[in-house]
Amino acid sequence: MQEEYKKNIFDKIADKLVYGIASFISLFKKDWKAKNKSKMEEWRLMLYALNRSPPALIGVFLVIIFILLGIFGPRLATWRYNYFPSLYTMNFTQVVLAPPGSKAYLEFANTTITYPLGADHFGRDLLSLILSGARTSFVVSIIVISLGVPLGIVLGLIAGYKGGKVDELLMRITDMFLAFPALILAIALSAVLPERIQGFIESHVLLQKFVLWIFALDTREAGNLGRLLSVILAMIIVWWPVYARITRGSTLTEKEKLYIEAARAIGLSSWTIMFKHILPNIIGPILVYITLDFGSVVLMEAGLSFLGLGATPPIADWGRIVYDGAQYFPKAWWLVFYPGLIVMLVALGWNLLGDGLRDVLDPKTRRSIEFKVKKAKGEGEENA
Amino acid sequence: MAELKKFLIRRILTFVPTIIGVTLIVFLIAYVIPADPAKAWAGGEKASPEAVERIKERYHLNDPWYAQYIFLVKGIATNTLIDPRTSNPVLDDIRDRFPVTFQLAIIAFIFTLIIGIPLGLISALKRNSIVDTIVRIFALIGVSTPVFWLGYLLIFVFFVKFRITNLAGVPPTPATQITHVPIIDALLTGEFTLFKQHLARFWLPGFVLGFMGTGVLARFVRNSFLEAISGDYIEFLKAKGVPKLKIYRHALKNALVPIVTVLGLQFGGLLGGTPITETVFALPGMGSYAIQSIQNLDFPVIVAITFIYALIYVTANLVVDILYAVIDPRVRY
Repeated sequence: MQEEYKKNIFDKIADKLVYGIASFISLFKKDWKAKNKSKMEEWRLMLYALNRSPPALIGVFLVIIFILLGIFGPRLATWRYNYFPSLYTMNFTQVVLAPPGSKAYLEFANTTITYPLGADHFGRDLLSLILSGARTSFVVSIIVISLGVPLGIVLGLIAGYKGGKVDELLMRITDMFLAFPALILAIALSAVLPERIQGFIESHVLLQKFVLWIFALDTREAGNLGRLLSVILAMIIVWWPVYARITRGSTLTEKEKLYIEAARAIGLSSWTIMFKHILPNIIGPILVYITLDFGSVVLMEAGLSFLGLGATPPIADWGRIVYDGAQYFPKAWWLVFYPGLIVMLVALGWNLLGDGLRDVLDPKTRRSIEFKVKKAKGEGEENA
Repeated sequence: MAELKKFLIRRILTFVPTIIGVTLIVFLIAYVIPADPAKAWAGGEKASPEAVERIKERYHLNDPWYAQYIFLVKGIATNTLIDPRTSNPVLDDIRDRFPVTFQLAIIAFIFTLIIGIPLGLISALKRNSIVDTIVRIFALIGVSTPVFWLGYLLIFVFFVKFRITNLAGVPPTPATQITHVPIIDALLTGEFTLFKQHLARFWLPGFVLGFMGTGVLARFVRNSFLEAISGDYIEFLKAKGVPKLKIYRHALKNALVPIVTVLGLQFGGLLGGTPITETVFALPGMGSYAIQSIQNLDFPVIVAITFIYALIYVTANLVVDILYAVIDPRVRY
């Protein structure tokens, strides 16, 4: 007997979401909504399928929280990351490494500061630091993915489609980068790059202002940007080869198919074929990788800053809090426990979502879910 | 067998350009180093200009890029690259620290294997049950847990609370060296107290490092076992009336092929994880040495260590490919 599902609240949200995206695209392309009814239906069914898997929903929930923290974290923080309470009191023991839940009175500032998650060795509030650090993690992962992945995809497409000498050359270069364990290469690069990047960023004032703005940093942190950006560049360099290889592999199988031959026969240019015909057909599995890799980037960034690379104090960064706090371990356990926990939750969120997406995008596992949903949908329409 | 030989020769031939490529990237890393370290190596701001100049000369920092490249490759190949801080040849310093890292990686690998494979088999045999779901979530937690966090968490449990691990120093290496991996040598030469000391020091970092790959391996074993067991030959064996356990043995053999590949990839992950694990557990291995040399702007060491890591990784991949060809005759194309 087949199980039956009713549309739940998430399905309704999914309907709205698909409709919203379709309306948004229709603003730019006339009649898009009318022409792509079946595509919208497909998206909707995918989202319904995603809604049927509790782990994926937990993933969506964690990811949304991470994105919200990334955007609003620095504003939600009660204290700025560079507010040092130890400067405003004579009674250092009150604020330095204050345990979770304690309070301290700062006589010079005439305020009372509460520490829900404890304080670090400057007396900074750990909760505020974690909230501000969310921005660092969020921006780093967005930049690394949005620069590293397209680079890999484009090179992989070219290598796979053109073949021959181009393929050979690009793949040998890819192999060179893949010959290193990823973290080792990232460590080496982020160790040697900072000075050059610092010089570059100092000569481009506008860029510097922009970077300070997206990381929600004060202007006096301008001298530390080089180290932060070097980690980003190092991770981009580490990240693209994997995507080049994956994309090349799927391009090789895809370009043998009949529709590509047809496209070539009517004289479409290689660029059109590559980006308009091959890419949309191979992007599914790549999307899963991208989702999973958001988690990996957050993890690797935390790992690098745990090793003392990248963000320098007082910039708030989850890995860096652990690096600085580890010397007070196990007495000040909260400095290690909470930042590490949030890194894990964020990475887990992306991994759960990616795992769920893999099931949804895999036709084999999706069909069974879809049939059930379709049935439920038909009933819903009858009732209406 | 002739085909296998051909495959091996071709595979080893592709090994050479990869290594040359690796040295090129390592050189690029060295090349973007600004000229300032010369001053730092000579003793900071107070260094005399002549000393700085001499250091620049010795490390060919003023020469064109190809001269620097040749100097670097030659230095690593002939072990004449000198660490500007310790004045030892860089490779000697690395050789002293290599056994620690290698031992750590081996123990981590063993943990991954003895937990991952049974877990994967159980979840394949109990497919779509609670056990299967738990293993799936365990795998996701494994790849999501920061190594440093798990490290400190377990230090808190096993060292601070229960004191069942040792975190100080490194036990001495046994007198007679056979494999140059202390823990194996201790076992082989029968020095059991030393073996116990090594185990007490290394089991926790090994577990932490291996944890990440355990769940991934379990999932992989599950999937490839399920794929193998749905083959036609299994149906045939069932029809023939072969006992269940014997059927599983056949399936396992076929499932082994992809598992070997993923193990090779895992080894790279383990190597990459060593700097963080060694930092957390204060182990004097290659990884923590790299981190220290970064803090000291000790770039020749960074370059050499990066190269050594890549060399190990590429060699591991070569071994995996050869194993692959030996296990599965179909891949000898």
